[in-house]
Amino acid sequence: MTENRSEKAWTGASWGNPFGKLGRTTVLAIIFIFQIILTSVLVPGYFSVWGLLDATRAFVEVGFISLAMTLIIITGGIDLSVGALLALVSVTIGFSYQAGLPLGAASLLGVIVGVAGGTLNGLVTTYFRLHPLVVTLGTFALFRGIAFAVSDADAVSNFPQWFSVFGQYKFGGMVPAQLVVLVICAVIFWLLLSKTPFGRYVYAIGHNATASRFSGVATQKVTVAVYAIMGLMVGLAGLVHTSRIFSARGNAGFGLELVAIAIVVLGGARILGGSGTIWGTVMGLLILSYLQDGLSFAGVRGDIGLTIIGCALILGVFLNENIQKFRK
Amino acid sequence: MQEVSSTSRRQLLCALRNVSKRFGNIQACQGIDLELFTGEVVAVVGENGAGKSTVSKCLYGLYSPSEGHVEFDGKPVEFRGPSDGENAGIVMIPQELDLFPELSVVENIWMGLERPRRWFGAFDAGAMEKRARELLHRLGLFVDVNTPAKLLSAANGKLVEVARALNANARVIIMDEPTASLTEREVFNLFSVVRSLKRSNVAVLYITHRLDEVFEVCDRAVVLRDGRMISDRPTSDETVSGLVRKMVGRPVEQLFVRHPHEIGDVVLEVEGLGSGSAFQDVSFRLHEGEILGISGLIGAGRSEIAETLFGLRDRTAGTVRLNGEISNISSVQGAFRHGIGMVPEERRTLGLILPFSVKHNVTFSSLLKFMRSIFIDTSAEDKFAENAAKEVTIVGAGLDDPVSALSGGNQQKVVVAKALARNPKILILDEPTRGVDIGAKSEIYRIIDGLAKQGHAVLMISSELNEILAMCDRTLVMREGRLVRSFDRKDFSPDVIGSAAAGVTVDSHA
Repeated sequence: MTENRSEKAWTGASWGNPFGKLGRTTVLAIIFIFQIILTSVLVPGYFSVWGLLDATRAFVEVGFISLAMTLIIITGGIDLSVGALLALVSVTIGFSYQAGLPLGAASLLGVIVGVAGGTLNGLVTTYFRLHPLVVTLGTFALFRGIAFAVSDADAVSNFPQWFSVFGQYKFGGMVPAQLVVLVICAVIFWLLLSKTPFGRYVYAIGHNATASRFSGVATQKVTVAVYAIMGLMVGLAGLVHTSRIFSARGNAGFGLELVAIAIVVLGGARILGGSGTIWGTVMGLLILSYLQDGLSFAGVRGDIGLTIIGCALILGVFLNENIQKFRK
Repeated sequence: MQEVSSTSRRQLLCALRNVSKRFGNIQACQGIDLELFTGEVVAVVGENGAGKSTVSKCLYGLYSPSEGHVEFDGKPVEFRGPSDGENAGIVMIPQELDLFPELSVVENIWMGLERPRRWFGAFDAGAMEKRARELLHRLGLFVDVNTPAKLLSAANGKLVEVARALNANARVIIMDEPTASLTEREVFNLFSVVRSLKRSNVAVLYITHRLDEVFEVCDRAVVLRDGRMISDRPTSDETVSGLVRKMVGRPVEQLFVRHPHEIGDVVLEVEGLGSGSAFQDVSFRLHEGEILGISGLIGAGRSEIAETLFGLRDRTAGTVRLNGEISNISSVQGAFRHGIGMVPEERRTLGLILPFSVKHNVTFSSLLKFMRSIFIDTSAEDKFAENAAKEVTIVGAGLDDPVSALSGGNQQKVVVAKALARNPKILILDEPTRGVDIGAKSEIYRIIDGLAKQGHAVLMISSELNEILAMCDRTLVMREGRLVRSFDRKDFSPDVIGSAAAGVTVDSHA
């Protein structure tokens, strides 16, 4: 597996795993399979291919965002504004449609607002040399505020029937359309991160931005691009979300940033930057999402979800920081 | 002879008895038997990775030996940490300044030590200051003891650390590369401090890369190689070449390599260049096949010139001409496009991505050379890295191992290989051999010489006068942000260049 080899080289000494020779992603995959088997045994009627595929509709949106969040966290950054930006995207689509824009154009405008929001985060972070934690905490409030102001606590849901295609169509009645898009995106992100100079620069910036600059990497441009890519993915997620719930409202995507960060960290990306992989994130996404899905299928109260996210985040950080110590 | 007299006259202070230290399956040092007598300066020399720092860490208690033990005042002792060592009277002065920059000199001198008290346990600031002043005066430093440490020069900071060691009643002081960032004159001053320590019966363990210093201040020289003690003899019985032979384990024919090379057209012409307050009004020309040195003290603005030419720093005045055409380089990418490459001053923080593999570091600046459509062609990259590693003889780790696993000298070769991967017409080297062992040094000189022979232009910033004298065709001397002199090779002499850098005039007819 070439992917595994390069993963080791890039992340170097900071990368380790607790289970002997297996990579972290492989271990997560084994945990995931075990988890599905366990849930299927414990909860009668849970297991069905249709059911497992249908469940993906609930997490594809956070999946889009987690892919881009992987890139951001590898550069040593963070984006807290994604949930708010998703709301802004959704509200843009809904309310510009209500104001008379054709729905196709409104959707495009929504995605553009997403890219613009992400780019804004990137520009403010790099050109004013501010920490992304503070910048995106600011835009978190800003985007949500605009979304609420525009929607005025109202919702738009009178979309034409065709609009449901982004969030409700299923290929062969089985495979949700947005899942197919997510898989394609995951492959593109994996190629981008592990096979292109851009990906190499992303890792390098996370390890040592100054040395990267001395080596000729346009660190500011790469960083802005990473946040702009996040904007694009939030735009996509916002479109899918609006189509899936067939409504645009200002409180969409609440707490999404937390879930995405937990997924990425559980997937093996160190919060300090420099390490992480797309397949690790995909595994983190599957494990966390199906855990929530299984619990809600079993009738456990819905608000336990946040508890799980919190635990997963702490567990992920703990593993990432301590695995190398265990090895020694 | 000297050793006999010192053992009879002076008493044994501390010793390492058959000390070995293992880390996992790496044997850092083995079977070290080292005795330190009062009033003696013992040099510890060896290449990077020879075990110099491990040995000293075992002595002052940072490491506890895997085998053997430390003896102090004739009794075996077991230090459980550096503070145990310090209480016993063994103080380490690390290579990099270890002061609290925001705190005053007094505070630093009393850091971690029992302070004089007054009523209700309040510190007796007056007594603290008085003691600090006394110690500093003994070392010939007359600064206001309430100055924050960050305002001190590197040399004075060193002296404050020595003062703190004396304040801790140190009987053994370990100095790790104490002169690494000092200028010639400051070095001279430090030597007199070392001699005065000696007179007051302190033993000094002097770790260094600079062999001339061994003969200047040390009584005895201990040579380490691959974690073992190769020899331990009075310096009066040693020669530089003999020490080098023992350190390297093979004869080194010649440290510096210099072949005649032809000097061609002007490739870089700098006129009135300035950047803020870092340097002003710098003008020079660099030719094809020329090695041009920039000599001077640390902080004279030399690295800033390199950074400006390399597009990392804003130019605030003057012009830069490349092959006769005015250029406005404002980014590293721009410098690359014009065929300028650079090996920066600090390899660990500026030169390398430490967790990246050797291979990925070598190709990091030239990835676009190995593209197949939009992807990196890894087989082309592997092949290139393999050749490059062979060319600069990187040894000690595989191409896929993290570059942090290499010794300093080999890391430096990786930085050089990375710059060479772009085949720059103009190569700027900022302190290319700082903290590098002799084997790697000679390798780097060979590479520089080869570049000049092929017609590349080399701009070499160096604080090591020997290096400038041996390698350069011409050298510029910088002082306080200005270019003060320029010398052709035929006029080179350590005295004139050194005094131009320091800003003193000497009779040059000597």
